[in-house]
Amino acid sequence: MVTREPLETFSVPIGPQHPALKEPGHFLISVDGEIVTDAVVRLGYAHRGIEKAAEGRNWVQNLYLVERICGICSHIHAMAYSLAVERLAGVEVPPRAQTIRVLVAELERIHSHLLWLGVAAHEAGFDTLFMYSWRDRETIMDALEGFTGNRVNYSANLLGGVKCDVGAEQRTAILKALDYLEPRTHHYMDVVTSDAMYLQRTRGIGVMTRSQAELMGAVGPTARASGVPRDVRVEAPYAAYGSYPLSMVLDNRGDLEARFVVRLNELFECYRLVREILDTLPPGELQAKMPRRVPEGETISRVEAPRGELFYFIKSNGTDKPERLKVRTPTVFNLMSVVKLVIGHQLADVPMILAGIDPCFSCNDRAILVQPSRGSASLWTWEQLRRHGIEVYHGRRP
Amino acid sequence: MQTNGNSWQTALSRLKTWARVNSPWLVHFNSGSCNGCDIEILATLTPRYDLERFGVKLKGSPRHADVLVCTGPVTRQARDRLVRIYQQMHEPKFVVAVGSCALSGGAFRGCYNVMGGIDQVIPVNAYVPGCPPRPEAIIDGVVKLLGSLMPPKSAAAEAEHAHA
Amino acid sequence: MHTLERALAIAQELAEGWTFKTETSRPEPNRLDIALASPADLVPFVVGLRVQRLGYLAAITGLDLGPEKGELELLYHFCPGPAVITLRVRLPREGAQVDSLTAIIPSAEASERELAEMFGVRIEGLRAPEHLYLPDDWPDRTYPLRKDFESVGQA
Repeated sequence: MVTREPLETFSVPIGPQHPALKEPGHFLISVDGEIVTDAVVRLGYAHRGIEKAAEGRNWVQNLYLVERICGICSHIHAMAYSLAVERLAGVEVPPRAQTIRVLVAELERIHSHLLWLGVAAHEAGFDTLFMYSWRDRETIMDALEGFTGNRVNYSANLLGGVKCDVGAEQRTAILKALDYLEPRTHHYMDVVTSDAMYLQRTRGIGVMTRSQAELMGAVGPTARASGVPRDVRVEAPYAAYGSYPLSMVLDNRGDLEARFVVRLNELFECYRLVREILDTLPPGELQAKMPRRVPEGETISRVEAPRGELFYFIKSNGTDKPERLKVRTPTVFNLMSVVKLVIGHQLADVPMILAGIDPCFSCNDRAILVQPSRGSASLWTWEQLRRHGIEVYHGRRP
Repeated sequence: MQTNGNSWQTALSRLKTWARVNSPWLVHFNSGSCNGCDIEILATLTPRYDLERFGVKLKGSPRHADVLVCTGPVTRQARDRLVRIYQQMHEPKFVVAVGSCALSGGAFRGCYNVMGGIDQVIPVNAYVPGCPPRPEAIIDGVVKLLGSLMPPKSAAAEAEHAHA
Repeated sequence: MHTLERALAIAQELAEGWTFKTETSRPEPNRLDIALASPADLVPFVVGLRVQRLGYLAAITGLDLGPEKGELELLYHFCPGPAVITLRVRLPREGAQVDSLTAIIPSAEASERELAEMFGVRIEGLRAPEHLYLPDDWPDRTYPLRKDFESVGQA
């Protein structure tokens, strides 16, 4: 796609054009013909001013606020927050509660990875895979709803513990969901590693070497797919992870295919962890008592969200409201890596490279504008960019 | 609204016929939500809920849409886009606000970057509460809105036709 | 990859052997805070951390110590493995300025842009200083995370 006049700009407006990418955000991408030469990210569409709002709400109200930072990884936000506040308050959370927190976190990781698989498949034009993975994802949502009461926003956390227990019935339901999902996941692994059309879009594309990943501060599966051994659950275990050690899933290839393989392999590790937890859930209380006022101090909570490290800094001034709540989400840094990665690639690769980091835009909030080196602007939608990618690759049979 | 199973079934079947004939197009817009609602909206397209069996299609372009399904508390950055999309739609056009944030700003009411709900920016015809609402509730909201659009005369004619 | 103890010990040594004054403290078992005497120390100290392989920048937190105190405090959190090493830098609220880390740590760009727009810190050497999260029509010199910011209200 060679452009002379006019300057071509692709603008990704929010949501509607793209049923699978419903999140708003903004990149400015410069192209020379079909090749990307520069990229700048501009967020703000889902910026709600949460950190400021938190200063005006009490510790309990803020739990419900942070749960709603992201609808996909709601629990991990609440967990990071709770762990931090409990530490400041010097409260010891009972082991059963910490373990249930980990259980919900891993079930959340499963739903999140399946959601991403569908979205990424849609980017590549594989709508069948999108439909199947989202249908399969419903089994986990049912299981989560069964013991937390909600499909999304499980609200399992309380300051001091959890509010829902896992009984025999719920345990059976979760195990049944895993029994169903495990062979399905093997099937998905087959598809992403052997389907020729899929591999055209992923193998050797968007390569990030280990040193690049480290330099760019990449986190989560995106970093692990480039061989960076970074996983907070392993490096700095929190909640009950100390009792449930897990293996880090790594890949050395650093391309888009590796990012698919890593997330699918992580699913298997999640299934294993969940089974182990259900077998060995410690007995006991679900909640410890929390004081209304939290003593002065600063604390830092680091947890592993489905997309990578989630970092919370909380400062208390001794009252019932926080002095400062700082949230750094994983997608911020992974977005920075995309901004560097797309340079030198074709425009047609941009949708998949972006999808490959599993961007959570409400965690950060986003869009894309492409600007050629010569000529004037014309507007494209994300859907056009996505279709452009599909057309370019469809024209090149393997 | 549903008094008994029979009247609901009748209403639904009339709606299905009408919708198949008129094929209403929905367009979806996220004005800064956490994505919880958007994912449940998307779930309505997947086989378990299958919004399309009602004859309703989710499309990409506002220019051909009849119904705008909106989530989010409307951030300042999203406000202009929302207005533009609404303006691009032809009459008659309708707006469904999905989720607590779209209704009133939800958990983010009062935040500095948030307008406080869809109806602070454009007129809204139907509100679907929840945080997020289930796919069934979203479908219910859309179907109720469409049901209210059905002209009574043709609805009766279709009902007769269906029972003949 | 360093162990927790090793990472903290290396950082402690770096701070104690630093040419200019630093103050260290251990607020939590996995944390070492290093208060730098001047913002000019920031970039050289970060280079020192990188050389010792302690250089994964996890986040930058801004704190407004209040209009009365007249100071902002910037916290740069480095997380080698389980350790959290935080460099603390104080700046005057008026004319707050610090050098960008992006020449050494490209991924710092997003965090620095956020710091700039939320707290009104001028980051010298940032290549894309425009707003990251705040809307295009946001009023000038209005920093939401400063303590004296009142809500702009529903426009």
